[in-house]
Amino acid sequence: MTVFHFLNCAFLTFGPHVVYYSATPLSEYDTIGTSVKAAAVYLGTALVKLVCLATLLKVPENDSFDPYQELMKVFIGFIDVAGLYFALTQLTHRNISQNHKFQAVGLGWAFADSVLHRLAPLWIGARGLEFTWEYIFQGLEANANLVMTLSLAALGSLMWLRKNKPRTLVPIIYACALLLATMPSITSYLRRSLEWQTPKVVGFELFSSLIMAFISWQLFSACQRPM
Amino acid sequence: MSPSGEVLTSISSALAVALVLLACVELGDAAAAVGVYRLIQYDLAGAPLGSRAAALNHHAAALPLPAGADLSRSALVAPLLDLPLAFLREYLADKKHLGGLLILLPTNHTDDKGQVKGVLTELEKLLVHEQVSYPVYFAFHDDSFDNVLADIRKIASSGQPASATTGGYKLVVPSAEPRKVSSPTISNIQGWLPGLKGEGDTEQLPTIAIVANYDTFGAAPALSVGSDSNGSGVVALLEIARLFSRLYSNPKTRGKYNILFGLTSGGPYNYNGTSKWLRSFDQRVRESIDYAICLNSVGSWSNDLWMHVSKPPENPYIKQIFEEFSDVSKEMGVSVGIKHKKINVSNPRVAWEHEQFSRFRVTALTLSEMSSPPEFLESTGGLHDTRESTDVESVIRTVRLVSESLARHIYGLKGRNIDVFAENSSLAINPHYIRSWLDLLSQTPRVAPFLQKNDPFIEALRKELSGHTADVHVQNDALDGMFTFYDATKATLNVYQVASVTFDLLFLLVLGSYLIVLFCFLVITTRGVDDLINIFRRPPSSRKLKGA
Repeated sequence: MTVFHFLNCAFLTFGPHVVYYSATPLSEYDTIGTSVKAAAVYLGTALVKLVCLATLLKVPENDSFDPYQELMKVFIGFIDVAGLYFALTQLTHRNISQNHKFQAVGLGWAFADSVLHRLAPLWIGARGLEFTWEYIFQGLEANANLVMTLSLAALGSLMWLRKNKPRTLVPIIYACALLLATMPSITSYLRRSLEWQTPKVVGFELFSSLIMAFISWQLFSACQRPM
Repeated sequence: MSPSGEVLTSISSALAVALVLLACVELGDAAAAVGVYRLIQYDLAGAPLGSRAAALNHHAAALPLPAGADLSRSALVAPLLDLPLAFLREYLADKKHLGGLLILLPTNHTDDKGQVKGVLTELEKLLVHEQVSYPVYFAFHDDSFDNVLADIRKIASSGQPASATTGGYKLVVPSAEPRKVSSPTISNIQGWLPGLKGEGDTEQLPTIAIVANYDTFGAAPALSVGSDSNGSGVVALLEIARLFSRLYSNPKTRGKYNILFGLTSGGPYNYNGTSKWLRSFDQRVRESIDYAICLNSVGSWSNDLWMHVSKPPENPYIKQIFEEFSDVSKEMGVSVGIKHKKINVSNPRVAWEHEQFSRFRVTALTLSEMSSPPEFLESTGGLHDTRESTDVESVIRTVRLVSESLARHIYGLKGRNIDVFAENSSLAINPHYIRSWLDLLSQTPRVAPFLQKNDPFIEALRKELSGHTADVHVQNDALDGMFTFYDATKATLNVYQVASVTFDLLFLLVLGSYLIVLFCFLVITTRGVDDLINIFRRPPSSRKLKGA
């Protein structure tokens, strides 16, 4: 019975990634190599981030929200953006279109993030007898994270790979990318400082990720149009 | 070592650490972990008695039960005062099976002390003498249980009994099969205060023995602290030893009697330890004992104390001792009564400790607040016998009565109103000493088979007695073979809130439809509706189905 629950939660956490890969043209062009490379880059980035967190941050004595520490965390969070930049521009991909490239990178990135951050707690926690909503929320968070990573990758590919984009849209693209990059800090602020409960935070994440996805989509298709 | 070997060792050690961490995490994920105390499990002359199982893994149920509920796969959680004893008696008599029973003991006895005590005594009597095939645990009723109980009742009121399909709470005690306690020992502790021999006095000095048994027996061995039975007697004995050691430390006030102090074990089992202890003495020593005073349950009397004897009260010895006691008691404003009960040597039941002395033809008496002899395995320091039911004043009165009359006997002060242990003198009774020992005893479960030979408590008693007396000696002996005890007296109960299978199925359904909708949405947005239709038209590859 508890293995059942574990499988459910695992489906919720990792299912959307698989569905995304198989439903979109990514599977037809066999872009799995790109995703794997992106995942490898994610691992490297996570390591760098860990080292930075360990060297620059103090161990918090309590669970309060310290603005200076949080600012440092935001800056360290930008290492993610650097990693994505590396994955999008520097990696030699097989000849795939920009359109598919960012999706493959975003997917690999989000999947690696889920595996790294959610698989172990899931394995340890969800198989226990005790029932909690925690792992269902965690799965939903993984969904929101997938959407956000894809949006960020889309905006990144607009920023770094597309040369001729409408000038008026450039500031909007940068603003949205900045917002997406700071999203982890925003949720941590909501959780710690405003003391939102987990359901509320997850709801916010899902909602904001959908909004951001919609905006990025619009921006992407706007840039796609011939000028 | 080669570099690759080093890498291998480091990896394997890291793996080991990870596994250990994993194991730790898995242990501590329950909603609540509560210390619980198991009903005693023992065999009496081969007959299995008490709770015969320790492992528990069942859904919780609470009273009132829905009509026709089948409890054979549920653990019943019941606060002590809500548990109808008739219900339990019926279950025991019909040998109906329960998944388990968890009895919640009230933590504050202040409101309905008398009722709690009465119910506990009844319950203990019921459970100790029955064979119970399921695990029975006791726990203290704290706030965490209130929520659990309320939830269980809510689920039960929906009409369905707790089971895997309705969720609710699961009670888990991971416990191995209880094992027999191998060769239980009983440890008797003795100490002497040697009297002063006159010059040219070749004959052995007469001895007065003061004895109290210190071990307990109760429904839950880990909760059997026995403050009154017989913690109070032990405390009184220690205080008397302290007072007389002060008198005997000065040669001028050293009496012409040896005083023997004995803390005996095995009291609940027909004073098995006392019998072994007496047998270990040399015949001459035994004969030198003038009389023995046994102290039993002297911690909660207000006005009446009873002197139990096996010789008729007309016996001159008994008469003399009784007169000494009543003289002092009259001065103290309390009454001491005398009760005579003949001993029957063919009957194995020994109700009072002094009867063991009588069987060795030593004059002896028991001082107790109980007016009638207790039944087998009763009044031996069970669940109800806690610090709250014992008061220091009673112990002080007992100490005064015994030591004052002893002093008059030893120094020949009969008929003279001299307060040897007057208050504010250097020989005054020390209430703090009594209180602290009573507190310690009230926190120490002392069921003899679960006390090791070198138990810190026995060591503490030995040390305390050797602080007051000389020739302190601990005699270890085996408890007679009639009893077999089983361990696992304490355990940790994990209370898990579990989801039902129905919930998981529903969740799977929602999840499946979500993933299918997502799939369709993605196909439509990225490839168009025609593609989606195509997927379903041609035989789909198995990988895609799995993904969906």
